[in-house]
Amino acid sequence: MIRLRAAYHELAAGGWPVMLFVAAWTVLVVTPLALMLVYSLFRTQGFATDFTPGLETWRTFFDSGRWQVVVRTVRIGLTVTVVVMAISLPFAIWLAKGCRSASIRAALVTLITIPFFLDVASRTIVWRTLLGSEGAVNTLLGLVGIPPQAWLLYSEFAVHFGMVLVYFPTMVLPIMLVLTLIDDDLLEASGDLGASRWQTFTDVLLPLALPGVAAGVVFTMVPAMADVVVPQIMGGFNVNMLGNSVDAALDALKYPMAAALSSFVIAVLLVLLGLLALVLRRVGAGAALFRALDA
Amino acid sequence: MTTALDRRDRPAARAPFAHRGRWRSMADSPVWPRAALAIGLAAIVLSYVPILWLALMSFSERPFSGLPWPLTVDWYREMAADRRWPGPMGLSLALAGAVAVICMVVATAVGRGIMRLRRPGGVLALAVVPLFVPGLTIGAALFLFFRSYLDLRLGVWSMLIGHIVWALPFALLLVVVMLSRFDRRLVEAAADLGASPRRIFLDIELPILRPAVVGAGLFGFLLSFTELMRSIFLRGTATSMPVFQWAQSSDHQSYVPISFALSTIILAVTLPVLGAFFWILFRGMEGPRR
Repeated sequence: MIRLRAAYHELAAGGWPVMLFVAAWTVLVVTPLALMLVYSLFRTQGFATDFTPGLETWRTFFDSGRWQVVVRTVRIGLTVTVVVMAISLPFAIWLAKGCRSASIRAALVTLITIPFFLDVASRTIVWRTLLGSEGAVNTLLGLVGIPPQAWLLYSEFAVHFGMVLVYFPTMVLPIMLVLTLIDDDLLEASGDLGASRWQTFTDVLLPLALPGVAAGVVFTMVPAMADVVVPQIMGGFNVNMLGNSVDAALDALKYPMAAALSSFVIAVLLVLLGLLALVLRRVGAGAALFRALDA
Repeated sequence: MTTALDRRDRPAARAPFAHRGRWRSMADSPVWPRAALAIGLAAIVLSYVPILWLALMSFSERPFSGLPWPLTVDWYREMAADRRWPGPMGLSLALAGAVAVICMVVATAVGRGIMRLRRPGGVLALAVVPLFVPGLTIGAALFLFFRSYLDLRLGVWSMLIGHIVWALPFALLLVVVMLSRFDRRLVEAAADLGASPRRIFLDIELPILRPAVVGAGLFGFLLSFTELMRSIFLRGTATSMPVFQWAQSSDHQSYVPISFALSTIILAVTLPVLGAFFWILFRGMEGPRR
């Protein structure tokens, strides 16, 4: 009670907009997410929901072979995150520290940002006409005498490919923003003190860039794990992920199953992000020391 | 003559500052910067391939073939005659406009309040929760909450709520970051000189905050205009433009290529606007030229 009152006074300092906002977010974000977990304890009877709590939906979930989908989702989500990171980290370093022309940097960042705001379905569907068996790529290959390559579309390759392109901007931008905040003098000082380039990279640049890397991973992995659009368009129905299962369960009016699947997506993300936080804490130990020296 | 290699071998021994600026000069030295640039550029080019191909194929007689010719403007004519898309387009524009205005007003009001808290961490953490939850999941959660628990009829209002929950955290972060750089002494000085709170807000805070407020509006508009996952679940019987395009593309047997023409026109309108905005924004961030 006393703690509640203290929290209230704390909030009151922010005025009524903050209090209204906290109330709105509690009703519109926290409550629905919590109630979704509760909903997964109900079960479907015919086309209606039976509101007697139980674990039957979860039992069906674990028994029904959806494990394959779970494993595939985690595998594809992690692979995409790692590939996007491998592309983005060097490029972000180049943009922030290597590129000398302010105009070129502004132009590249503009180009990276724009596709992020275009609707994903429209810009992914086009790959079908490019990678399909009668698409542009296979037509070109045919001219050179190479038979049509079926794995280009409706395959795991296609899903990975589509997702890497969709989530590339969300990884590059946060890393780049954090890197531009690092003082060049720190990097030069590291060199002056005899560190090799590799040491400067691993001991100075990378620890200082970690907040950006973490933000990039969140903005990439969170939507990638629950993507519906890219797996359906690029994978046909061959490469279904958890997002597609949620979609299908809701279409079939199996609300408790959709709730269980959605809760499971959140659980998977919590575990992965928790692991990430642990790794970052370990790697970041040196960075804290560095920041202390800096101040 | 001293080569770069010699210097690298004996850095500290000869001249302590001989390699000052070496990090900068890495831009034009060894392999990795070029590799990094090449891979990054490849990713950017590949992101634009479908966009350009889409525009090209919207003029093709057979949009699903591998070759663009023979060319035609039939799809544009068909699109102009089509009665299915103007409704969703109008709804999307109205929703995006509403989300933009709400984001600008609410982010400014709440952002200023948050900065007055002694420990803003808790409220900020609560505010960014929607960024950690996939669109599909929050869409499903809100759907179950409104439809099943509260037994409400879904429609434009629930879509609007879904979009606000998605866009507002970004807008709020923009405003809070801007405010955290704000020099409070300006406000105190104005108050000492007898300015009313209203004058202080209108004449001092708002002009300084303007970039963040404009950014909040633009982000709100675009995030809402392209939003799909939350809309799918929360739309009831209403249809927004991304939902319309998604329905068209999901059904790939009857997929009518007018949506290529439609996307091309949307792109033709949004690309220059976005390009100009981001160009100005990022040039501004670089600061004055040396």
